[in-house]
Amino acid sequence: MAVVEIPIGPQHPALHEPIMLRVRAEGEEVVEVAVNTGYNHRGIEKLMERNSWVRGMYLAGRVCGICNAVHTQVYVQGVEKLMGVEPPPRANYIRTIVMELERIHSHMLISAVMAEIVGFDTLFMLIMRDRERVMYLKELVTGNRVHADIHILGGVKRDIDEVRRDRILSELRVIEERLKYYRKVFEEDYTLLKRLAEVGRIRKSEALSHCLVGPTLRGSGVKSDVRFDDPYAAYSEIPFDVVVRDEGDSWARMVVRLEEALVSVGIVRYALEHLPQGPAVPKAFPRAAKVGEVVSRVEAPRGELIYHIVSTGGGNPYRVKIRTPSFLNIINTEFTYLGHRLADVPVIFSSYDPCISCTERVLVVDEKKGVRRYVSLRELARWGTT
Amino acid sequence: MGVSVIRYSPWIMHFNAGACNGCDIEVLAALTPFFDPERLGVRLAPNPRHADIILVTGALNKKAAERLRRLYEQTPSPKYVIACGACAISGGVFTDSYPVISRADRVVPVDVYVPGCPPRPEAILYGIKKLLDRVARGG
Amino acid sequence: MAELSIGGYTFREVEPRRYVVSVDPGRLRELAELIVREESYLSTISAVDLPKENAIELNYVFWSTKHRVALIVKTRVSRERPVVPTIVDIVPGALGGELEAYDLLGIVFEGNTRLRRGFLVPEDLVSKGIYPLRKDAGV
Repeated sequence: MAVVEIPIGPQHPALHEPIMLRVRAEGEEVVEVAVNTGYNHRGIEKLMERNSWVRGMYLAGRVCGICNAVHTQVYVQGVEKLMGVEPPPRANYIRTIVMELERIHSHMLISAVMAEIVGFDTLFMLIMRDRERVMYLKELVTGNRVHADIHILGGVKRDIDEVRRDRILSELRVIEERLKYYRKVFEEDYTLLKRLAEVGRIRKSEALSHCLVGPTLRGSGVKSDVRFDDPYAAYSEIPFDVVVRDEGDSWARMVVRLEEALVSVGIVRYALEHLPQGPAVPKAFPRAAKVGEVVSRVEAPRGELIYHIVSTGGGNPYRVKIRTPSFLNIINTEFTYLGHRLADVPVIFSSYDPCISCTERVLVVDEKKGVRRYVSLRELARWGTT
Repeated sequence: MGVSVIRYSPWIMHFNAGACNGCDIEVLAALTPFFDPERLGVRLAPNPRHADIILVTGALNKKAAERLRRLYEQTPSPKYVIACGACAISGGVFTDSYPVISRADRVVPVDVYVPGCPPRPEAILYGIKKLLDRVARGG
Repeated sequence: MAELSIGGYTFREVEPRRYVVSVDPGRLRELAELIVREESYLSTISAVDLPKENAIELNYVFWSTKHRVALIVKTRVSRERPVVPTIVDIVPGALGGELEAYDLLGIVFEGNTRLRRGFLVPEDLVSKGIYPLRKDAGV
């Protein structure tokens, strides 16, 4: 996402947005990890300064394909504040529905990837199959499977009619049942418990001082959710729970995600059943903003997403600063790998949901033999089992 | 024999060269049993030395382009390249930005272009099928 | 407008749940220590280039989980000598933000030993000494 996605080298397709972890090991034990970055910088912040306010909306969506609706939301709500535009309530509800559908598919994706990393390929295939149902719903609402682009300054581009609403509600029943099953698998399956529990533990104070966000922070017992603390869109009107776990290990982070996906199903259902009447699609929208600056925050599937937008008036932003949740969760977690076995590194790494497990290669340096060789993370994960 | 033999089981290596992950999750979806690429013999290669087709996504960040060139050299002939998504074809919304090269065909020869932002999984499979048909005809 | 006082520094509410204070760069470390005690984490360091005023404005955005508000610390440095003290030893999570601000705008965080060019910016710009997010970078 944004400015920290870094692709290097050949990779497994399940693992995008690569980054390089430089791991030092003494035998099986990890003694040092350095995150190495630099390959997916696309200069979006600079591009935004050159483009108009409306074009920036599409650029924001293309920071990250997985969480594109939240990126558009955080940009649009900031710009709306600068322009003095208020979206109608129905538009806010539709935005919320799209963002929550996105959260469900994102959390399912990382659960699938995690299953694959620990060698549970059947579970990977099953979750990916059911995830297609969510993608279908996203297409039904927005007209596109991945890039929603449903926001527009002062509203949304498409309304939801009765037929679509009933279709989504009936499909949600199936998705909810499957999610409950997957939560049970993650809570009870012997293989998953063996690989995830007690691995990569982060204490509450460490999570705060290292500035971790999202399910990683909530998995360590800190109740912090932008939807709840700093409500935007329609979240102030929708009742929902903030999922918190105290264990702080990789397992807790995964269970928090699956619980959250279930909460999101509830939010979508509530929003559909309480959809306010009135217009949602604006007939026109403003092109220029007032002088000012705004700090805009939303809760992306991976945690707090924040934009700092500065306007000096006119048709272009003066400065847009984007900080994505993975940026904090990846760069600041080097300490959590220490003392674990090599085979745990991919598990811990994936448990931060690095915008779909942004992994590709790990450089293993065997201190005793002085040998260096590259292995894929997938290969590495299997070392623990063979 | 010759090149046409790879049409029975082409192995694909996916390379993210600065994509927004939109294409990548669709590539991933296209390779799961729901869309079932294995009926075309398509499998994922973990390593460029095992691959027949390189599937490139993204606007080609300058650093990533170096990697792509090297990967292409490491892949044994016959080899083919599919440029997947608007960014790999033309740079998409990132055209003219300072860290990107914008087009996959400025770095490696591209055989098939799959348009879309992102392309649907069906479109990606269709692109692969087109390439295989061409290979079968001996081109 | 509401105000919030932390250790003698008065934060002014500029919009709902956003509290701002402006300080000298020399006060940053002291203020960071005070804010961290309010169960806060550092969200981001946002640097804005202001060539007309010959200054770069730094915005340190903290989120306090205790008060449930954003605490924004503003400070200014000159464009010729953009040096501020690091806060990495107080807030370990500031590392990413400092590396990014150094690479994109050339702000030197005194005491941070891990600063390096090329964290995000491609080689060709690094070798010319260009900081792409400065307004006169010409990229």
